[in-house]
Amino acid sequence: MKQPNRRGAQPERRSGEHRRLDTDTDLAVLEAALREGRVTAADPAERELQELALALEADTPEPRPAFAEQLSKRVEAGFPRTGRAARARGGARRRLAGLRRPRRLLPALAVAATLLIALAVAVPLLSRDQTTGGSSVSAPSTGESADDAAPLQRESRSGMSQTPSPVPPTGTGTGQDFDPKRGQRSIERSASLSLEAPGAELDRLAEGVARVADRQRGFVLRSSVSSGEESGGGSLDLRVPADRLRDTLRDLSALGKVRSRSESGQDVTATVVTASDRLESARAERASLLRRLRRAGSDSQAETLRQRLDANAIEIRRLRSDLRSLRLRTDYAGITVSLSDESRSGDTLGGPTDSTQDALDDAVGSLQASLNFLLRALGTLLPLGLVLAATVAGGRALVRGRRESALA
Amino acid sequence: MDPPPPRSRGVNEALAQPLPATAVPREAESFEALYERTFPRVYAYVASLLRDRAGAEDVTAQAFERAYRKRRGYRASRGTVEAWLFGIARNAALDELRRRKRRATLETEPEDLGAPSLDDHAETALRREVVRAALARLDGHERDLVALKFQGGLSNTEIAEALGLSESNVATKLHRTVTKLREACREAA
Repeated sequence: MKQPNRRGAQPERRSGEHRRLDTDTDLAVLEAALREGRVTAADPAERELQELALALEADTPEPRPAFAEQLSKRVEAGFPRTGRAARARGGARRRLAGLRRPRRLLPALAVAATLLIALAVAVPLLSRDQTTGGSSVSAPSTGESADDAAPLQRESRSGMSQTPSPVPPTGTGTGQDFDPKRGQRSIERSASLSLEAPGAELDRLAEGVARVADRQRGFVLRSSVSSGEESGGGSLDLRVPADRLRDTLRDLSALGKVRSRSESGQDVTATVVTASDRLESARAERASLLRRLRRAGSDSQAETLRQRLDANAIEIRRLRSDLRSLRLRTDYAGITVSLSDESRSGDTLGGPTDSTQDALDDAVGSLQASLNFLLRALGTLLPLGLVLAATVAGGRALVRGRRESALA
Repeated sequence: MDPPPPRSRGVNEALAQPLPATAVPREAESFEALYERTFPRVYAYVASLLRDRAGAEDVTAQAFERAYRKRRGYRASRGTVEAWLFGIARNAALDELRRRKRRATLETEPEDLGAPSLDDHAETALRREVVRAALARLDGHERDLVALKFQGGLSNTEIAEALGLSESNVATKLHRTVTKLREACREAA
């Protein structure tokens, strides 16, 4: 691609394409001369260029043989360090060894970091499961194992009903200012169970629940069951002796598919003791009033004492009623059984679909948690990384600029 | 006289042919091979920049020693080993130039590295003087480029890798420099 008149043309009038062609052609001519070691072009301008290139190459300084030999020996020996320099280098190398070691331990560090991240993700998930698990205990639909996971077992070991209860205690008698050594504790227990069965079997299921209550020496306090294609379901409130709660729950769980189950307990010992003490005081007051009435000297005095005895009788009746109610609550555990049509609910605890769904939910949750963690980590690391990268790039540019200044 | 050391190939050839296995200084022996292949060119490049024989020897030795110590840090993916080595040599030479500037002791013209030998023809000697006079009119960056190309024998790709520029940029700069040099030669002649 020879251009006869290109050298004589005005450079500023040439297009960018022509300039690029000139550059490429000139450099190709130049490379050819350097490669061949002689002038190869016929065009006078190109010959001039090649001669210049060869002249520049010929003007290459050559090293002194003594220096070349000396450096060759050093290269062969691997640039040995001597004297103070070697000692100084040795110290620096030892100091640097500490910095290099982490590089070797990089895989181990990576594994440790992964474990840490996994822990950071798993611990909140597990703690969340434990928090929600108390109020809704996953249990297989049938069998003894359903009872094995019952929180009441933990409750009986701990001796305090509040411990396993996920529900905050309500009522007045929380027992916070109560001496636990003072007699047997009174604990109000309750449980709720959600059972599923096919719509056609809901009635039979409700009967089964009643039979279980009866067998466990309990009773059905309230029941409401409806069946039909549109809305099948119901609920039953049971009262069973507190010491038979576990057996009752076990039997109830065997009746159908357990969708959810929860148990709770509340220590009402302080309330019971307070009511007992007040009843005892009221009775003592009544005895005292009766004694004073027998010794009354006037009618008006007797009338006053009678009025006070009436008020005292009312108070005693009220306290007896409270105590009776409290004993009923502590001697009997309340169980709320919800019945539902399984064809209307998508999933059931314990079933294969449920466990797959749970596993999927858990997987999605874990993924979300991991992503959240990564996002947070990125939110912190990204700006730091950018600042670091900018600093390194700036530092390099500075050093480069300072070096290049030597050529200015 | 020994045959001249092989030059680095041209752009297209360098891209077309794979890097020889000995070019990677992974072991002491490989480094020796690299040294044997590049020593005269590295020295010539450094000497052209410094224009001082003693300084060039120091800096060349320093550059090879640095390259030897850093040889495990070389990555073929970043460029050819020649580009890497000349980058080290260039940094060492520029550091030396900066030191000299700070000391300001080298105000006088440095030792003439290429004094005409007795067996030089008059025409050759004259041409050399013309070229040197033209070179003296180039600025530091242009002289660096010329030294890398003609004394270092690097291809445009390798120069680009050593200088951290694009290859087309190097080609443009080189063409501009050679054009300037040619004009300066015409004027000097």
